[in-house]
Amino acid sequence: MGEAAVRLKVMPESTDIDFGKLKEGIKAAIPAKVRLHAMEEQPIAFGLKALIVVVIMDDKAGDGPEETERAFSKIEGVESVVVEEVGLL
Amino acid sequence: MAESKPHLNLAVIGHVDHGKSTLVGRMMFETGAIDPHIIDEFRKEATSKGKATFEFAWVMDSLKEERERGVTIDIAHQRFDTDKYYFTVVDCPGHRDFIKNMITGASQADAAILVVAAPDGVMAQTREHVFLSRTLGVNQLIVAVNKMDAAKYDEERYKEVKEEVSKLLRMVGYKVDEVPFIPTSAFVGDNLIKLSENTKWYKGATMIESLNNLKEPVKPTTLPLRVPVQDVYTISGVGTVPVGRIETGVMKKNDKVIFEPAGVTGEVKSIEMHHDEVPEALPGDNIGWNVRGVSRNDIRRGDVCGHVDNPPTVAKEFTAQIVVLQHPSAISAGYTPVFHCHTSQIACTITELKAKLDPRTGAVKEQNPAFIKAGDAAIISVIPSKPMVIEKVKEIPQLGRFAIRDMGQTIAAGMCQNVTPR
Repeated sequence: MGEAAVRLKVMPESTDIDFGKLKEGIKAAIPAKVRLHAMEEQPIAFGLKALIVVVIMDDKAGDGPEETERAFSKIEGVESVVVEEVGLL
Repeated sequence: MAESKPHLNLAVIGHVDHGKSTLVGRMMFETGAIDPHIIDEFRKEATSKGKATFEFAWVMDSLKEERERGVTIDIAHQRFDTDKYYFTVVDCPGHRDFIKNMITGASQADAAILVVAAPDGVMAQTREHVFLSRTLGVNQLIVAVNKMDAAKYDEERYKEVKEEVSKLLRMVGYKVDEVPFIPTSAFVGDNLIKLSENTKWYKGATMIESLNNLKEPVKPTTLPLRVPVQDVYTISGVGTVPVGRIETGVMKKNDKVIFEPAGVTGEVKSIEMHHDEVPEALPGDNIGWNVRGVSRNDIRRGDVCGHVDNPPTVAKEFTAQIVVLQHPSAISAGYTPVFHCHTSQIACTITELKAKLDPRTGAVKEQNPAFIKAGDAAIISVIPSKPMVIEKVKEIPQLGRFAIRDMGQTIAAGMCQNVTPR
């Protein structure tokens, strides 16, 4: 009851970023109380890929997706993080 | 084939515990969207426990478990089909911290079901979600006056709630005559697929008929081109490549484009989507486009790309209607929070509180109020701390909405009414 899934789009700094390392970084950066649900590489353009990350969190805890966004933004090789979709489970 | 049906993004909105999830679950169940093996399991479990009654809550729990078990990036939404459409359904979180993402997020709702529990009537989040739907440009609404079973299927209570919701909808500008109201019990299944014996006094459309009556969304291809820049790259062998999602209009190869507020112009050499080159890109497309004549340092996130003959509007000042969602104290002129509008995040000063609106009627309640607080709707004047692209919501709705944030919270949501260009 009261859990929300949040889909984030993580853009790398360049086409040279190692997505294996990036995924490890994401796993390590997941805040407490937030669960990693899925990750998927998504082709964008000209060799650029985004990493789509879906996490599950409490809808009522009060942190919202911000903390996760901030945590992912600090990972080496990450250019930007945007929340694409939020929905209750 | 389901895929040949038109697709609609449907948001389910309303106060917490008014039965949004149950309604979604019930619609999935009734339209055959729930995996048959879940239903089989349910039957087995029910038989083994000797329960003859239908425990719909069990189906709901199983549904959640099933979604979590599938390692898919599509977990945030669900899907069901009617004979006319296929729906992608987002059950909107009630918590305010998720609101910014409803405004700047990727999947814009084409329609919404507003769920209002009959015993409670309009509550705080009902009001907020209605404001937000309007702000987000969700023009098609269906109202489910839910939990009718808990209101003894009383027609009088239904009418009271309908009137209360109608007032609220009128205030934000919905044409109430065009909004279907349905007395429902998502838990029991009343009036969702067929008219219920429990509400013989109700002769209107069922939920499924109302869903089928929704209009198919039209992509805003005739509006001016607007592509908020998400990130900018230099790709070797290609050149400068901004990436972002087309909000309105059409971008074609060889188009002359301008990025505002940067004020730099260039020519679209090629457009790629999912790594494939495309001759043109339409609203909703996530693209990277190679521009000649623009260097990576010329443009940045928050800039908006448009055609040179119809460039994005850079505001020196703008007026907006906002609704204050939460604020520890009060907001007065001089307040400078951060406005999140498309991909930009810019500190803006609220220079004037022009009017406070009556949340019941929408009429001006007070001219030039000294302050506004949580729950208030108001008309404000705003000056961005640096150049910012924003459009009148009446002209380009996709670029006219914003969330106001401060202290790690979404303070307000709003829409731009008028712009004084730079």
